[in-house]
Amino acid sequence: MNIIFRILIVLILPLNLFSQDASQSIAELMAKMNRITDYSADAVIKSDIPLIKILAVRATIYFKQKDKFRIVSKGIAILPKQGFVDISKLLSKMDGYTSIIAGYDNVSNIKAQIITIFPVNDTSDLILAKLWVDTDRDIILKSQITSRSNGTVTIEYSYKTQNEFGLPDSMVFIVDVKKFKIPKGVATDINRTSSIDEVKKTAKTGRIFINITNYKINKGISDDVFIKE
Amino acid sequence: MLLKSTYNEFVKISAKPRSYVGLGAITILVGVILFALKSDGLSFISFVTSSFEQTLLFEGNILNGNLVAFIVLQMLVIHIPLLVALVTGDLVSGEGASGTIRMLATKPISRTNLLLSKFIAGGAYTFLIILWLGIMSFIVGKLLFGSGDLMVLNSDGLVILQIDDISWRFLSGFAVAFLALLTVSSLSICFSCFTDNSIGPIVITMAIIILFTIIGTLDVKIFDNVRPYLFTTHMASWRSFFEGPVPKNEILKSIIILLTHNVVLIFISLYKFNKKDIIS
Repeated sequence: MNIIFRILIVLILPLNLFSQDASQSIAELMAKMNRITDYSADAVIKSDIPLIKILAVRATIYFKQKDKFRIVSKGIAILPKQGFVDISKLLSKMDGYTSIIAGYDNVSNIKAQIITIFPVNDTSDLILAKLWVDTDRDIILKSQITSRSNGTVTIEYSYKTQNEFGLPDSMVFIVDVKKFKIPKGVATDINRTSSIDEVKKTAKTGRIFINITNYKINKGISDDVFIKE
Repeated sequence: MLLKSTYNEFVKISAKPRSYVGLGAITILVGVILFALKSDGLSFISFVTSSFEQTLLFEGNILNGNLVAFIVLQMLVIHIPLLVALVTGDLVSGEGASGTIRMLATKPISRTNLLLSKFIAGGAYTFLIILWLGIMSFIVGKLLFGSGDLMVLNSDGLVILQIDDISWRFLSGFAVAFLALLTVSSLSICFSCFTDNSIGPIVITMAIIILFTIIGTLDVKIFDNVRPYLFTTHMASWRSFFEGPVPKNEILKSIIILLTHNVVLIFISLYKFNKKDIIS
C-alpha cells in the first residue's frame, strides 16, 4: 500500500508542478494583455486560400477590453473566423479550462513553452488549444485552436514594435480548407473545362497574412466603432 | 439609301407592340430580382459563401450594386435571346405574312441593302435591349445597393475584384454579351428569310439555342469536337471578364467565333433573299 502511494505521488507530483507552471505562464500573459484597454491599428490583409482569388486589402483593426473587436475595410476582406480575440477570451475565463505544459519547442529560433489547454465543459465548442509561449517576454509565438465548428486554426505571430504590450506586427493564420465546396448550379460558367475536384485535391490549408502597423494603444475608442451598420 | 432604309426599319420596329415586350419584361424581371435581393439578398449570398464561412469571415459590403448587376446579368442573359428573337425573327417573314414585302421590293433599293438595313435595325434593337438591361442592373442596382468590391463565384472558386477594377469588366462584358445576342438576331433574321410565317423563325431560333445549349452542357465525348464551334458555347463568355487573370485568348476565340457566325448568317440570308421569289 505504501509503495503504491509513493508511486502515485511520483507520478502525480510532476503533473501538478507542470500545471502550476502553465497557470503561472498564462497569468503572466494575461497580465501583459490586460495592460491594453484598447487599441487601433492599420492592417494589410493578404489571403492565399485555395478556391479564393483576392488581392491584398487595407483595413483598420479596433480592439477594446474585454472582447470588443472589429476590422473595418473599404472593400471585401477575408478574415479567419477564429483567432483574433479568442485566445484572450479563452484565457480570461480561468475556471473554464485546464492547462498543462506539454513540453518545449523552438519557434523561429526562440525557445517556447508549449501549453495545452483543455476545456472543462465537454459540450464547449473548443476541443483543444495549444500555445507556444516565449516565457522570457511573456508573448505568444504560435497558437493552435481546434474547435468543433471551425476545425483547426494555427496562428504564427511575430513581434517588433509592441513587445511591451504583446501585440504582434504580423500574423499568419493557417486555416483548414477541406470543407470548402462550390455550390452546384450557382456557378454557371459553362465554358470552363477545369474540374473543381482537381483544384480541391491540391490544397488542404489556406493562409491569411496580416501585417499590422501604426498601433494606437490606450488612446480611447468609442463603443460606436464596434457597432456594425 | 441604306441609312434611310435602316431608319424606316427602326420606325417599323418601334411601331410594333411586341418590341416593347422585351423592354417591359426586362424592367419587370430586373425589378423582381432587385426587390428579392433587397429583401433577402443576404441569405442568397450565404448560400454561396456558407461553406467558406465555417472557417472564414467576409468583412465589407458584399451585397452591393456590382454584385447585384452581376447576378442580374447572369440570370437574364440566358433568357434574353427569346426577347431578341421575338422582334428580329419577324423582320422579313412578318413583311411576307402581311404582304408588304412586295411593295418594299419595288423601292429603289437593292435587295442586299434592304436586308442589310433589317440586320442593322435588328442590331440596333438588340443594342437597346442590352443597354436597358445595363441601365436597370448596373445603374439602378448601384442606386439601391451602393457600390463595393465584386465577389464572383466561378466553378473553380471565388474571385473578389476590387471596386476600381470592375467598370471596364462590365463594359467589356456587356459588349461581348451584345455580340452574342447579335448572333441570335442574325440567326432569327436568317430563318426569317426562308419563310413567310412570323412565328416559325422565332420558334426555330429558340429551339436551336436550346439544342445547342444541351449539346454544350452534355459531357459526352462525341460532342467534344463540335462544342467549341457552337455559338451557344460562347454566349456566356462575357463572364470570362470577371475572372482573375482575364483569359484573353479564350475571349478572343469567342469573339472570333461569334463574329464568324454573324458573317456566315448574313451571307446565307443575303443569298436566300436575293434569290427569293417574292410572291406573297
